[in-house]
Parts: sequence; structure tokens; C-alpha cells
Amino acid sequence: MSARDDKIRQVVAELDAHVAEVEASVAVLKALLADDEVPEEEEDPS
Amino acid sequence: MARELRKAARDSGEDVAAHHGLVKMIPQWERGDRAPRERYRLLHLKVFTDALGGLPHGMDAVDLALRLAEVRSRAASLPGPGQIRALEAAALAKPGETMTRAEIRALAEEAIAHLHEVAGKLAELSALLGDDEANEGKP
Repeated sequence: MSARDDKIRQVVAELDAHVAEVEASVAVLKALLADDEVPEEEEDPS
Repeated sequence: MARELRKAARDSGEDVAAHHGLVKMIPQWERGDRAPRERYRLLHLKVFTDALGGLPHGMDAVDLALRLAEVRSRAASLPGPGQIRALEAAALAKPGETMTRAEIRALAEEAIAHLHEVAGKLAELSALLGDDEANEGKP
């Protein structure tokens, strides 16, 4: 594995992380518009 | 991506869906609504393995090509800054108790900042790959 390959892997990983951040923020904004609720990991049964 | 898939198919003498059909199918594949058929998976592999022509062949290169294809497709389907601003404005206009206006604004700012990072990383990747289409997939 050359230094260039390592660099490509690193940039892909960084790109993946930034894309995930945008996706998550957009999902929250859309959820606010959909039903005023931010998606929760778990619902409180109480 | 649709254009690249059609080119890869042409080069291999295969038939694929028309451009508008691919443009419709690709987001469905990205969202996981449907799985691409084998020939489309192989065409994706060909597109990105060709793009990584300087890499050694083998599973590492294939794995990297697939990962690159997936993340570039996701990046290409992200909304632009204008669309994020529109979502922010709509969320601010809609009364709700889930988030404060400041939190909504901060969320939109953060999304746009990451969007700029995405564009930068795509350009960096294109340079590393010697990609002629530096703007391909840029949000």
C-alpha cells in the first residue's frame, strides 16, 4: 500500500464523515418540518 | 454517475437503461430503496476501479473503489447550501418546541460548513485520482 493509497483512504474517510454530518443535520431539519419532532434514538415509554 | 455508468457500459458493449432511467434509479440505490442488479454493480466497480487505475489490483483496491463510489454518490445527493437555507427558513417559520431558533440556525450553519468540507474533500480526491471531472459529484 503506497503513501498515495493511504492518502486516498484517509480523504475518503474524512469525506465520509463530513457527508454523514450533513446528512444528519438535514435529517433533523426535515424532521422539524415533518412533525415538529427531532428523531430520537429511543422513545421514553413513560 | 449516470454518464459514467453509460460510458462504462458502452466500452464493454453492454446495454443499460437510458440516461433518465439511470438518473432515477441511482438515488434509489443510494437510499437503499432497491438494490442494483449485478450488471449495474459490476459497472460501478468498473467505473471506480478505472478511476483508481494507479492502485494495485486486488481486494484492497476493489474495497476502496466501492467505498469511494458509495461516498461520492452520497455526496452528490446532498442538498446545496441554498436548499439547506430554505430548510432552515422553513423550520424557523414553523412554531415548535423541539429546538430553539438559535439551535436551528446553528444546525444549518454546521451543515453548510460540513458541505464546504465535502466540496474540498471531493476536489482533493479528484486531484489524487487524476480525475478529469473534478466537479463530478460536487454538491
